[in-house]
Amino acid sequence: MRRLLNLRPDRGSRLLLGLLPFVALLIVYLIASDMRLEENPNDKMLPAISTFADSIAQFAFQEDKRTGVITLWADTASSLQRLCIGLALAALGGLIFGILTGVLPYASAALSPLIAALSMIPPLAILPILFIIFGLGELSKVILIVIGVAPFVMRDIGMRVAELPAEQLIKVQTLGASTWQAVLRVVLPQMLPRLIDAVRLSLGPAWLFLIAAEAIAATDGLGYRIFLVRRYLAMDIILPYVVWITVLAFMMDLLLRMLSRKVFPWYQRA
Amino acid sequence: MRSFIRHITTLGLAAVLSTAIVPAAFAKDSFKVAWSIYVGWMPWDYAAKEGIVKKWADKYGIDIEVVQINDYIESINQYTAGAYDGCVMTNMDALTIPAAGGVDSTALIVGDFSNGNDGVVMKGSSDLAAIKGQKVNLVELSVSHYLLARALDSVNLQERDLTVVNTSDADMVAAASSADVTSLVTWKPQLAEIMGTVKGANLVFDSSKIPGEIIDLMVVNSATLEKHPELGKALVGAWYETMSIMSKDDEKGKAARTLMAEASGTDLAGYEDQMKTTKFFFTPADAVGFTTSSALVDTMKMVAGFSFDHGILGEGAKSADAIGMSFPGSVSFGDSANMKLRFNETYMKMAADGAL
Amino acid sequence: MNMISVRKLWKEYGDQVVLENVSLEVKEREFITVVGASGCGKSTFLRMLLGQETPTRGEFLIDGKPLPDEPGPDRGIVFQRYSVFPHLTVLENVMLGLELERAPLLGKLFGRKRGEIRERATAMLDEVGLYHARDKYATELSGGMQQRLSIAQSVIKQPRILLLDEPFGALDPGISADMHKLILRLWEEHHMTIFMVTHDIKEGFDLGTRLLVFDKARLDAQAPNAYGATITYDIPLHVTSQKMLQEMAEAKARTERFTDGLAAA
Repeated sequence: MRRLLNLRPDRGSRLLLGLLPFVALLIVYLIASDMRLEENPNDKMLPAISTFADSIAQFAFQEDKRTGVITLWADTASSLQRLCIGLALAALGGLIFGILTGVLPYASAALSPLIAALSMIPPLAILPILFIIFGLGELSKVILIVIGVAPFVMRDIGMRVAELPAEQLIKVQTLGASTWQAVLRVVLPQMLPRLIDAVRLSLGPAWLFLIAAEAIAATDGLGYRIFLVRRYLAMDIILPYVVWITVLAFMMDLLLRMLSRKVFPWYQRA
Repeated sequence: MRSFIRHITTLGLAAVLSTAIVPAAFAKDSFKVAWSIYVGWMPWDYAAKEGIVKKWADKYGIDIEVVQINDYIESINQYTAGAYDGCVMTNMDALTIPAAGGVDSTALIVGDFSNGNDGVVMKGSSDLAAIKGQKVNLVELSVSHYLLARALDSVNLQERDLTVVNTSDADMVAAASSADVTSLVTWKPQLAEIMGTVKGANLVFDSSKIPGEIIDLMVVNSATLEKHPELGKALVGAWYETMSIMSKDDEKGKAARTLMAEASGTDLAGYEDQMKTTKFFFTPADAVGFTTSSALVDTMKMVAGFSFDHGILGEGAKSADAIGMSFPGSVSFGDSANMKLRFNETYMKMAADGAL
Repeated sequence: MNMISVRKLWKEYGDQVVLENVSLEVKEREFITVVGASGCGKSTFLRMLLGQETPTRGEFLIDGKPLPDEPGPDRGIVFQRYSVFPHLTVLENVMLGLELERAPLLGKLFGRKRGEIRERATAMLDEVGLYHARDKYATELSGGMQQRLSIAQSVIKQPRILLLDEPFGALDPGISADMHKLILRLWEEHHMTIFMVTHDIKEGFDLGTRLLVFDKARLDAQAPNAYGATITYDIPLHVTSQKMLQEMAEAKARTERFTDGLAAA
């Protein structure tokens, strides 16, 4: 018998082992749900699978009687729009300021302390200020995501620029590059895949800020729905929404990873 | 053994889902009731801190733990999930959360109704009819939403004539200061704060125009109450002792109101302002009178209609009378096979008769 | 006139003296190899030539004018590592220098103009033996090939001076030999003046027309940083023409005159 630390599962058992906790979780859920429903058939805390199916059918495939739209898709579209605009702005701002501070010592001296300080502010704490400045509409939700994510991206990109070998920037100067050209041809292209990495790491916080913003003031969205139906404890809607958000977040991560591989093949090798 | 397994599985789930899912209390003579900060429920805080609850619990040989929960909805959800034996809530939330969730609940104490404590505010206009086409910020599916619906009734408008923006009550004051918020519905103390600080804010409708429709209750689990009437007796006894203290204009009454004011984050003047727009039933006889009136049945019918229209009577509810409600004097409404919300004057009557 | 004149040059960082009293005259098209123990200031000297460092005292002249205080296209550089761009293909790496010159705004050329420089870059790649790898990314190349690429990248800009900072230090000996042939050929063909820092003395003797040794002439055991390094040996090598030998002798004499003058003072 070899040592435990030398035993490795093969492909099949790896898959099986990975699934096991999910199955166990499901079984525990089913037992607990069954027990609660036996006691109170109207229990909303741990609904039965059939209840989920009904709710999912109602929210994902039928038009809502009052609004005439399919609720889940309308919520998903609104949330994704906010999330994508917020992430895109944060990424753009993060890229610009990150490269500025990473390349130009003067910009770094002027901006880095400010960015470091800003990144320490818990964005949710300044929500009332955001409301007063940006109103309660779409803008403040997008801004919350931007404020929550951009400082991280800025600092990350700034550090990644600093990590570029000094030799590269000297070399490109000996090839005749101006500051602008050095940024455009050497720094920027190498930062783009790193920007994708930074955005991938920001997906979790971005979702958090989105849900928080939607919980506070909204007329639609995934976070709005969860916090609305929480008022009458509709776990049959909340749990599928949570799973759906997880799936969306996972898919976005996967898409970004694939994009990075496809567009920046050199990055994976470096 | 069965309950042990249930305990273990639900505990495991609680950890996994990070939601507290705790089954109903096992201990036979120890009970937990939850409350959250609101003018009508501050007496519970005073009663617990001053030992009034303990005194009455001791009298009936039980333990009662009074737990403050910061988030109102969370406290009702916890009660509905079985973590508490009783909880304070409004009549509408009692119908749409525990009752719609299949938890047979009894309105043990009818404490007060909102008599101007909830209001519709418009900026730059004093004409409620002008709300047509506007965005209205409020906590959706709450009593604010109900108040808006009743306000719209009064000017022959409907909800589809405007856009409701779900807005957290904690952020309502900040929201009101924002330029793109033109109208909103909220309750005190936020309402007073907004009226006092936001330029051009007009109170165009308030709950004093629909007296007795937004009611603050102490709700307890019906099964628990049936099994342990001593819980009902102790809670009601403690409540009315507190009422009699706080309603008096003497030193002790003033001290009590001051404590309640401070615990709810305001001062005596602020709390008394809220009390002015809250119709407390200081005597059990008043409360019994209100509970046994036919107006309460009409109100609950209206609330059930509103709740059904907004899809919050639970899935599978085919009509507004999907949930059965019972009232004093064998009056009932809705599906008698699904009787889940009971207005019960028995214990308050005992207090009125001095039988506690 | 000599191309490079270094006169009584000092470089200090606070109390630490790195270079002291360095004087040097260099003619166009010399191949100068620089050796010395690590920390002897040879890299500092190279960085000054590059424009990354400025002298504390003394003069560093090129064509009689002070050296620019930042890197420029007249002085190419090949570092030991990291001097190719990982996000560009081999061909793009070589085209980059020409594109920067002709497209000030975007740093990138398109269409017919791009075709022209692509031809030149392809020819350059052929010259350094990388034609077959032109469409690979730079990081897909071996260490030796990357150094070939870095050299090609610089040489296509036709710099007057090519600086090599231990360019073959990380390569296998067999590969170094090939690289030596390549660099000598390019030196002949492209009429460059080369400064090469190396820690391999044999390489220094084999390649250069002149070998400089940097070392500390004075040493204080109590304060190792009190004295800096200077050029302690200046040796002509492989001189093929009588004229060049004579010119170099003259240059060396001038160098000594400055050094002696300073010592006398």
